[in-house]
Amino acid sequence: MFRFKHEQTIVNVGGVKFGGQPGELPTVLCGTIFYQGHRIVQDDALGVFDRLAAELLVSRQAELSEETGNPAILHLYARTIEAAERYLAFADDAWDGPLIIDSADPSVRSASAQLVSEIGYADKSIYNSISVATGEAEAQAIRDSEMDSAIILAYNPANSSVDGSLQVLETGGSVKEKGLISLANDAGLVNLLIDPGIVPLGSGAGSALRFSVVVKARLGLPTGSGIHNAVSAWPWLRSADKATKWCCDAAASALQLGAAGDFLLYGPIESAKFIFPAAAMADIMIAEAVRDLEIEPALEHPLNRLV
Amino acid sequence: MTKECSNSLRGHDDFWPPVCGDYVVGDPEAKVAVVTLASRLRAEGAAISGPCKTENLGVEKIVANTISNCNIRFLIICGVESKGHLPGDTLLALHRNGIDEQGRIIGSKGAIPFIQNLPPEAVRRFQEQVELIDCIGLEDEDEIALQIERYNRLAEPYPGEPFLVVKRKAAREEIWAGEGDLILGAETAMDTAAWLVFAEEN
Repeated sequence: MFRFKHEQTIVNVGGVKFGGQPGELPTVLCGTIFYQGHRIVQDDALGVFDRLAAELLVSRQAELSEETGNPAILHLYARTIEAAERYLAFADDAWDGPLIIDSADPSVRSASAQLVSEIGYADKSIYNSISVATGEAEAQAIRDSEMDSAIILAYNPANSSVDGSLQVLETGGSVKEKGLISLANDAGLVNLLIDPGIVPLGSGAGSALRFSVVVKARLGLPTGSGIHNAVSAWPWLRSADKATKWCCDAAASALQLGAAGDFLLYGPIESAKFIFPAAAMADIMIAEAVRDLEIEPALEHPLNRLV
Repeated sequence: MTKECSNSLRGHDDFWPPVCGDYVVGDPEAKVAVVTLASRLRAEGAAISGPCKTENLGVEKIVANTISNCNIRFLIICGVESKGHLPGDTLLALHRNGIDEQGRIIGSKGAIPFIQNLPPEAVRRFQEQVELIDCIGLEDEDEIALQIERYNRLAEPYPGEPFLVVKRKAAREEIWAGEGDLILGAETAMDTAAWLVFAEEN
């Protein structure tokens, strides 16, 4: 529902475009597979999983993407490099689009960057993520790889306000010698997607929404978040039934889109069935809201497909 | 910012625990708190128990909720460590080494180990009041219950007032609008630095 004065960077990763003015491009939706506790994973150290179940999940996300016009990304989470190898081999067979490579372990992320480079996937892979925790060894591993796209996690542990997150991006604030954008550029990353990092409700989850608008206004870079984490970390909701949780997930996602979000790390890939319709609806509303502000929705936008 | 309460006899005030989170409150007079890290485990006999998956906000909540109850003298750290974040390792590091000027927990191997919402005195109080029992990896609920029973018998309440952590509210500043950098149409703009929407003057 906004139009930014600052020129908006459009990032293209493997043919999927992120960014632009709100209402211009459909929101990119990224579903996670093989996440911690995923039922289809039998051994998360070795990367043993139920292949048929994984194929069904991936193909369902692809179908919903095709139907709505919202581009999809497959977000691969791996605990070990052995698991990452197996998951990437699976993605090579079952998925045509871009990937996010992710792990809680920096050595696994670094090794995955090398791996996608070796198998020719670097130009359609997104590194998740560059953050204040990124050390020189990890930066060097990315520099040595062929990757050029990353999510920048703008969480500032010393100051979680919007200003604090901006400081982390631009100067490093009090926790990093230089800003994360410079750090990413020095590591050879040019396609940058900004994620404020979502903290629990009550700890400031909502500031991510204002941060998204501010980043686009000041820097013109694509923004988005894993806002579903605020929902899943909400103790009050834990005893609620599944439908209630899904409603909250969908509402949180729509809020992120209404706050100028360009992409959504929507969490478990099983959520695709309700996130894609919710995001498509929000995209249509936003496109209609700015229709008389000279912003044309892209041909593949849900506005041109679903209504 | 801290304030004292007048509940030294009971060791805690009526609103303990002060910080909300994913935990179960047992007997507030018990001497043991239990953090089960990434596992979900029963901890019978504990004053408070629950998981902790993050090395910053999660650790802060544990500190705030333990030092606000003088009865709690032991914190049993059990369950499976949360990968990458390492809140168990971070709690041990915080207790052993404290924090530096930036709030970074010295010696933690966690990804982003910072204390942001607690004053340094709260960390010192945590170090003084509570002894950590390192049982990281333990998921046997019977064994955990035995540990709780054992440590519940071992200590007296901390001799002092409960330490309540109250987050400082920033003073409201007068808002000045600069140039609108976000256009809403119909001659309405927004200055995102001040987060102020205004009608543009002709």
